[in-house]
Amino acid sequence: MSKGKIIWSIIIAVVIIIQLIPSGKPDVIESNKNDLLVNNHIPDSVSHILKNACYDCHSNETIYPWYAYIAPVSWLVSRDTKIGRENLNFSEWELLSKMDKAKMLDEIVDEVESGAMPMSIYVVMHPEAKLSMSDRDMIMNWADDFGEKLFE
Amino acid sequence: MKKYVLISIALFSAILFLNFNNTDNSQPAKTPASPEFSIPDDVQQIIDNSCYGCHNSDSKNKKGKMKLKFDELGDLKTHKLVGKLAKISEDIKEDEMPPKKFLKNYPESELTAEQKDLFINWAESTAKSLSE
Ligand code: HEC
Ligand code: HEC
Repeated sequence: MSKGKIIWSIIIAVVIIIQLIPSGKPDVIESNKNDLLVNNHIPDSVSHILKNACYDCHSNETIYPWYAYIAPVSWLVSRDTKIGRENLNFSEWELLSKMDKAKMLDEIVDEVESGAMPMSIYVVMHPEAKLSMSDRDMIMNWADDFGEKLFE
Repeated sequence: MKKYVLISIALFSAILFLNFNNTDNSQPAKTPASPEFSIPDDVQQIIDNSCYGCHNSDSKNKKGKMKLKFDELGDLKTHKLVGKLAKISEDIKEDEMPPKKFLKNYPESELTAEQKDLFINWAESTAKSLSE
């Protein structure tokens, strides 16, 4: 075997072997009785953005793309989904105290205003998650109004 | 004589008009969103020592000022105030604030365990009572 062939064989073997390592992708749960959108009247325009740009990482209803099943990309997707859900899980929204809801809505305004969310790597793979200026304003205004109504 | 009466009436109505205008112009006193909100002295002392420099409306620390202004906390609407108080408690618990880099230069600003407890208790109990 030539040197090139040996190197390629090793690479292919490694790629196959790492597929055997479990990626630990968080489970998908379709029906969530404590979900934000299930329990509240959220304008369609807002729920559409949340679903498209946030729900894959911040809910139990993650839609995994095909490459999420292939290591090493699967590891990255798993990590973002796991950490994303730990930080903010819209599927478990109603379990938050009013205080934590207020905090989270304030964080949503901050994250969306600064452009930190949705994560930029996600937007590269999901162009529909790219938020326009008016999308951002819509989310920020909604988060503020929604927070205010909690305290009325 | 008539002249004096007329002048008096004119003056009188002018005064009335001015007064009326005055009351009309005066905005309803700016009701703070959370009238029961105030910072007790022991907490204020910790803030002054360890936080205020970055988190006040004249701060040169743009990012710190944008996120939190202790001198304007009481002007926030209730939901924003509760959100900030919850965030304060979280950041102190997780040793996120004051920033580590800052503490390197100003170790005297580090909060003691008692100061942390006091600060966290105040922030959480205030947030909870505002949430009721
Ligand atoms: C690719 C996955 C992904 C997407 C898509 C995404 N997030 Fe995140 N989000 C994360 C991760 C991971 C973190 C934790 C970041 C950290 O701690 O550094 C996070 C953190 C947050 C936080 C901070 C929570 C806290 O407790 O501080 C907020 C708020 C947030 N995201 C809102 C959103 C919103 C709103 C959207 C949609 C517009 C969105 N995210 C889209 C992965 C994602
Ligand atoms: C050296 C300047 C500095 C000091 C001192 C400081 N902070 Fe901060 N603080 C910042 C900066 C900068 C940010 C913004 C961080 C970011 O956005 O990444 C911040 C953010 C915060 C936030 C987040 C606000 C939000 O809405 O997300 C809280 C809460 C906070 N600080 C509380 C405190 C408390 C409490 C103290 C004192 C115990 C303190 N800080 C001391 C600079 C400072």
